[in-house]
Amino acid sequence: MTPSLIPSRAHPASAPAKRPPLPRAIRLPLSLAILIYFAAVIIAPLSGPPPASELSQVILQPFRPLLGAVYLGHGYRFFAPNPGPGHAIRWTITLPNGTTRAGTIPDAAADQPRLLYHRRFMVAEKIAALVPPPFAPAEIRQEARRDWLPLVKGVAANLLRTEGGTRVRLDLVEHYLPGPEEVVAGTAGADLVTPLGTYAVSEGLALPAGSPRAERIKPIAAEATLR
Amino acid sequence: MSISSDQSTVAGQGAEQGWAGEWAAAWNAFWFTPADPLPLAVVRICTGLLLSWSCLVWLLDPDAFFGPQGWLVPHEVWRMNDQPWQWSWYFAASGPNAIRVLAGIALAAAILLTVGLATPAAAVVSLLALVSAANRAPLNTFGLDDTLGLLLVGLAVGPSGARLSLDERFLGRGQGSGQGRGEPSVLANIALRLIQVHLCVVYFFSGGGKLFGASWWEGTALWGAAANVQYRTLDLTWLARHPLVVNALTLVTLFWEVAYAALIWPRLTRRVFLATAVAVHLGIGLAMGMMEFGLAMITANLAFVPAAAWRRWLPLPPVSRPPVSLPSSNRTDLA
Repeated sequence: MTPSLIPSRAHPASAPAKRPPLPRAIRLPLSLAILIYFAAVIIAPLSGPPPASELSQVILQPFRPLLGAVYLGHGYRFFAPNPGPGHAIRWTITLPNGTTRAGTIPDAAADQPRLLYHRRFMVAEKIAALVPPPFAPAEIRQEARRDWLPLVKGVAANLLRTEGGTRVRLDLVEHYLPGPEEVVAGTAGADLVTPLGTYAVSEGLALPAGSPRAERIKPIAAEATLR
Repeated sequence: MSISSDQSTVAGQGAEQGWAGEWAAAWNAFWFTPADPLPLAVVRICTGLLLSWSCLVWLLDPDAFFGPQGWLVPHEVWRMNDQPWQWSWYFAASGPNAIRVLAGIALAAAILLTVGLATPAAAVVSLLALVSAANRAPLNTFGLDDTLGLLLVGLAVGPSGARLSLDERFLGRGQGSGQGRGEPSVLANIALRLIQVHLCVVYFFSGGGKLFGASWWEGTALWGAAANVQYRTLDLTWLARHPLVVNALTLVTLFWEVAYAALIWPRLTRRVFLATAVAVHLGIGLAMGMMEFGLAMITANLAFVPAAAWRRWLPLPPVSRPPVSLPSSNRTDLA
């Protein structure tokens, strides 16, 4: 028998009145805490990602400590407004002996289990959100570079650390999203490749011992020159 | 709004005090009616299993995720989140051993949460560990972490170890956890309500965001997900020959998500919305390789399944006390 999710109405309306199980002195502060919690939960997606109102930005400010401390600041826009193309970061590392090795982030074959793949996949997706396409106006690309370059340097540093290379070239690959008619016809467009630059450890930089390796990472060929 | 069960009497008091009194009574009934902690215990076990798995995966590459030479160096984390409020215990870890110890503490807490041993402490430490990981590695987080966060807040607040736990088995009904004796409690209700309402907020904004997208209105959005090679774990490109099926699946998903916050509460529609949630999230898990995220969302939906249903499904010993007439998720019936 399938268990019922529908309860019976166990108490008739004429049942004797009960007092709430908690005294008012406890209910009031609890109610206030609940209201503050859900105000924070709701204001976070209201204030971002864009479009968002100026009012929501104002209301957001006092809630920032709570949102940050409890990890509540989410937009909850899963696959919105439209499911877009997938991204990967293609890398080519030059090893100390001069040979090269290539790979992608993420790598479905190597990044197992699948949750590990997904955590690495997010690196490509989140950086892709900051990188304009190669056909964007130069000033927009230059401005965006300030945002994505520090993150890409971290990726380069991590790759050089794990692969033991001396330099690494990175490209952002946006996989072509075919329409149904293209799949039926057996055709597909080309992936969009945006160079992210070539990076190497700069030994000449005078940095304090123990500084993150990414601080020593220097782009030796900017993405613009690789196009 | 009609109120059922115990709430009818509480609401009746409010009716005598006018409109504001009715609101206050409805609020009190919604949040402060004692509830059976059994559904919360089920949510705890599922959350603990997912969290343990997530902690294990973090441990597969801890230096890359949390280390000073990782994907995102500590002083650049602010670019991805809102420092200084987004703290992390990994910011204090300077070496690989310290990182592994902290990640190991997170895993241990998640396991304790799953089996229900020292549950209140395990829930709090698990929440701190999740926040620490997510705030230190924002380049690597996604919806799974958001969902585990909302679940852990509820589990840390309520007596999640009062049932189906080692605390209950070895120390009596939740005595060792300091969370009562597994009997209906206001905190159990608040915890379940926190998860339920938060889940409604998630679906509301997720559905609302989709209303901006032409592909959702056109009924083609699911194709965009199916054709994305980076997500694909199940080849659904055969759907290209069945555009009306894609339309139907897309529009059902859109309507379900947009309407969830309203139609999960009435008894008449709750089963349909819960069943659709299971289908949608399992579909995402199987086809797009995000099974953990799908299972986390299904776990959050379990907060709407009443204790009576769990008693029928689970091999539990008979309850000696008078049965709880209504579980928390059935207290407010808008039907």
